[in-house]
Amino acid sequence: MKIFKSIKWRLQIWYGLILVVVLAGFGFTAYLLESNRQFHRIDDELQMRFGLIANALHRPPSRGSNADGQPFDRPPPDQLPDDGPPGQNSRPATEFHLPPEAAGSFDTDDPHHFYFIIQSRDGKEIARSANAPNPPPDMYSVNPLLRVNERPNLVGIQGVYAGGGVFFRRLPSGELVQVGCSVAPELKELHLIALKLAGFGSIILIFGLAGGWWFVSRAIRPINSISDAAAKISAGDLSQRINVAETESELGKLAAVLNSTFARLESAFAQQKQFASDAAHELRTPVAVILTQTQTALNRDRDAANYKETVEACQRAAQRMRKLIKSLLELARLDAGQEQMKRLQFDFSKTIADCVELIRPIADERGVKIISELPPLEISGDSERLAQVVTNLLTNAIQYNHEGGEARVKLESQNGLAILTVSDTGAGISAEDLPRIFERFYRADKSRSSGNTGLGLAICKAIVEAHGGTLEVSSEENVGTIFRVRLCT
Amino acid sequence: MRILIVEDEPDLLRSIAQALREEGYAVDTAPDGEDGFYKAENYDYDAIVLDVMLPKMDGWEILKRLRKIKKTPVLMLTARDQTRDRVKGLDSGADDYLVKPFDLDELFARLRSIIRRSANKTTNVIEVGEIKIDTALRNVSLKEKPIELTAREYALVEFLALHRGEVVTRTQLYEHLFDENESSLSNLLDVHVSNVRKKLGVEFIVTRRGHGYCIE
Repeated sequence: MKIFKSIKWRLQIWYGLILVVVLAGFGFTAYLLESNRQFHRIDDELQMRFGLIANALHRPPSRGSNADGQPFDRPPPDQLPDDGPPGQNSRPATEFHLPPEAAGSFDTDDPHHFYFIIQSRDGKEIARSANAPNPPPDMYSVNPLLRVNERPNLVGIQGVYAGGGVFFRRLPSGELVQVGCSVAPELKELHLIALKLAGFGSIILIFGLAGGWWFVSRAIRPINSISDAAAKISAGDLSQRINVAETESELGKLAAVLNSTFARLESAFAQQKQFASDAAHELRTPVAVILTQTQTALNRDRDAANYKETVEACQRAAQRMRKLIKSLLELARLDAGQEQMKRLQFDFSKTIADCVELIRPIADERGVKIISELPPLEISGDSERLAQVVTNLLTNAIQYNHEGGEARVKLESQNGLAILTVSDTGAGISAEDLPRIFERFYRADKSRSSGNTGLGLAICKAIVEAHGGTLEVSSEENVGTIFRVRLCT
Repeated sequence: MRILIVEDEPDLLRSIAQALREEGYAVDTAPDGEDGFYKAENYDYDAIVLDVMLPKMDGWEILKRLRKIKKTPVLMLTARDQTRDRVKGLDSGADDYLVKPFDLDELFARLRSIIRRSANKTTNVIEVGEIKIDTALRNVSLKEKPIELTAREYALVEFLALHRGEVVTRTQLYEHLFDENESSLSNLLDVHVSNVRKKLGVEFIVTRRGHGYCIE
């Protein structure tokens, strides 16, 4: 069933069950205590009255007993059955008068009040009060389950008979004395108490369940908003966030964590989308070149020189695409972490010196002087990849320099870090462009004709970061730009 | 018809310019935004082909500045094909929008279309008496008979026909038929006019002395 799979319902059912058990336990105990108290009281009263009757039976009638007490006829003694223990000093009573001091204990007119019946040994009634039930309760049909007298010094049965409490006892002289009373008022009261307990318990149960429902609903409300947001996100709307009102609860914290995850997902997706769109954009121009060049050339017959020009233009476009695709693949591999950097000890200064020599012809052509300061410094890493970084930074320093300018390469060791600085005396990068130059396809000069892919610095940064290092830039317009690579040695 | 192309990719610029010249347009080129805006501001082009991503000043900026002073039809060329870019282009005053890479034929058709619209013509065919000028096919016929015209002659006829009823000055004709690289020898125009009159009839182009030429 669906209900039993819902956390809310399961919690609620458990909570309800526990509440019911606790309330029922309390209610039952309270009821038992109260009924015990009531019956003990009745027991005591019955015994007290039995005592009165028993005393009166073994005492000659006092004066004035006829005035207050009532005379009772006794059956002839020869008819007494032999069903009780005969007393040693028994004197069979033939008539009974309720002593005046006991009269107040028996209200003979009220059928619910205490009554007494005295039977002779043979079962004949000797005396009875006016309110005694007729026929009298039979000792053997009394339900002893409710009240069995456990007091050892008393021989007799105490029980409930036909809605009344009764106390039987055979006296040593042979008379069977029965004292009883109706327990209807007590039963009624107990009934009322039971009703009250049940009502009170139900109210507590209802409040408890309602409170529990409210509390559980509140507690799991964030789960619903989390699942709503997650569903929308999985449907493609990455801008969805979980609406968290309370941030302190465990679920609130979970929601906050999820929200920050969603935000990172969204920005990663946006970045990826931007990257794909930029890549397509970069490929469009060379394709446009090839298309227009070939279409123009094919429009009519041309001479060989003209065709050659077209083919050359197409070649340039294709080269540019190749370069771009290579860079894109490289970046994609670096992004995916597939490009494992070798971790070999090598002399970084030597690698840099090689790069400088490689680039010197371009620098000479542009009239830029390369000044290098390269003390030997061993570092661990991928020398080929780091050479790529150095070449790229140096090429930039030369390309964006002016004639007669300088490109400075400096390697130093500082606090266990290798710091490579490549600085130029070029036009610098504006404050507006500076934070974005490591972005893919970002070109400060906006032109495509420079032949750069716009990915060089992004690749450099990715390589350095794959080595656990950092690449930073600082620049001042019309003074120059400084790139700083920090690597662990 | 004189057209300005502003594009920073040299190979693309060269091939578009060549193709348009072969179509009979007078073509000026600009390799960056500043040069492009300068030319657009100082000459009355019949249309401008404008790239969006340009060094020095981008296409949007050129368009924004140009729209304050001129209504020259502008065809934007861009590598961005997202709808919001196209909307932005059209909203900022571009007359049409073409995404790279494109077919040259489409570029020609779109150029013809924006030039025609700026001259308030709705069809490709202009009829002047018994002479029919089809600006899409770039041919002219007299009494249903096709007449052979050189590209420059055709351009002259088309320009006058698009400005039918107006007197077109010689300076205007020079500006629209010849590009910045051609030396505008004053009698070159007279040669073209006389050739057209020979082919289409003397009455076709009327000379307004001291003013210019006109097709009535």
